[in-house]
Amino acid sequence: MDNSGKEKEALTLMAEADKKMKSSRGFGTLFGGSSRKYEEACDMYVRAANMFKMAKNWSAAGNAFSQAAHLHLQMDNKLDGAINFLDAGNVFKKADPQEAINCLNQAIEIYTDMGRFTIAAKHHISIAEIYESELLDVDKAICHYEQAADYYKGEESKSAANKCLLKVATYTAQLEQYQKAIDIYEQIGTYAMDSVLLKYGAKDHFFKAALCHFCVDMLNARLSVQRYEDMFPAFSDARECKLVKKLLDAYEEQDVDAFTDAVKDFDSISRLDQWNTTMLLRIKKQIQDDESDLR
Amino acid sequence: MSSDFEAYEQDFGTLTAEITNKIGRIPKLGGEEKTQLVLNVDKQLEEVRELMEQMDLEVREIPIQSRGMYQSRLKSYKGEMEKLEKDFKRSRIAYSDEVRNELLGEDAGSSESQRAHLLDNTEKLERSSRRLEAGYQIAVETEQVGQEILANLHSDREKIQRSRERLRETDANLGKSSRILTGMLRRIIQNRVLVFVLGATILLTIILAIYFNVRGH
Repeated sequence: MDNSGKEKEALTLMAEADKKMKSSRGFGTLFGGSSRKYEEACDMYVRAANMFKMAKNWSAAGNAFSQAAHLHLQMDNKLDGAINFLDAGNVFKKADPQEAINCLNQAIEIYTDMGRFTIAAKHHISIAEIYESELLDVDKAICHYEQAADYYKGEESKSAANKCLLKVATYTAQLEQYQKAIDIYEQIGTYAMDSVLLKYGAKDHFFKAALCHFCVDMLNARLSVQRYEDMFPAFSDARECKLVKKLLDAYEEQDVDAFTDAVKDFDSISRLDQWNTTMLLRIKKQIQDDESDLR
Repeated sequence: MSSDFEAYEQDFGTLTAEITNKIGRIPKLGGEEKTQLVLNVDKQLEEVRELMEQMDLEVREIPIQSRGMYQSRLKSYKGEMEKLEKDFKRSRIAYSDEVRNELLGEDAGSSESQRAHLLDNTEKLERSSRRLEAGYQIAVETEQVGQEILANLHSDREKIQRSRERLRETDANLGKSSRILTGMLRRIIQNRVLVFVLGATILLTIILAIYFNVRGH
């Protein structure tokens, strides 16, 4: 594991490749051997980048990959360029998220030009994940997830699209854009209840949609729960539905204790996850605020 | 009218006193005497019931204003009668209890062991209900896990379908390219044959030209 040795090798390779690039402008063009020079330079860049990867020098590796990608584009070798941009993006993920996003964006452009939307969608998801985790820019993440979902829908991959839409809905609900979240959840719920494999998850989606309705307005929530029950009879058996009804009653009577009891009950059987807890907390605060207003 | 009622009340009083007395004596007796006494008490209870019915009718004939007092009295008498009946029943069972106690030689300590027994039972019930809860929780978790697995399967299914489509496309493309290559190969062979033929013709022409020249000399 001679890492430093590898690095030195890599650096020498990069230097050679750079020289080739410069020299090819002089001679090679005359003899039509320029493309060969470019190809060799590309090769060397890629090899250097791999060696940087072995030495864990992520940013240098990323740079090498992007240079290789640019060369490929110059040679009109779009596919190879895109692949190298992808490699660069993956490597930059560990070092510099912003650079990674740039590289991935370029790769996506190339793919959409070629009409390969599925792969482009997959990379939109990668970018969105970077925004989620490293850069914590939820808005941009939502944009990318939406874009990915649209591409997937265009390519008739409903379940992948649904996965992205779910993420969009969770984040928009957290940002209090309830209407959008409601639409998405209802859409996914209706789709799920028809499918044999997914119908056991449908009640979960309706529950989330009902919670979002609740945050907006209580009457809405009641009507929507009624609607879901009509559409999907199994929903009324679900414990989640019973919980929602209990919460609606507690909200009507402005009874915080009943609310907390119902939630505790449900939690003792199956834990509530992060998103659910946040939503329920918001609703509870609404009750408490109303109570204090009345006082 | 009310005098009838009072007469009934007196009768009621005497009968109930007798019945209570007899009920008190029943458990202690046994055999012939006991059955006699039991029949007696039965008959007397019947009489009491008839009395009650008559008192009821009387009360209904009384005008409404004064009815209230009589009705309340009637209710208390009814309560007393029911209590007597209950006592009577208990006394008949108590008989068996006394004799059993004599036979099995148990004493007042039996109530203690009963209490312990009951506490035991309650604890067992609590334990079983806790286990049921845990079982229910596990079932719910299993359901959730199953749900996730199904969703994964669904998306995998789509991926596999897409790959299959792409594979078919690639196969078709490969077939096309192989046909094109065969076409190219054929054309190359044709070209080569043509070149040879032309070369041969030119050579022949040159040889003929030289030949004629030599002949012409």
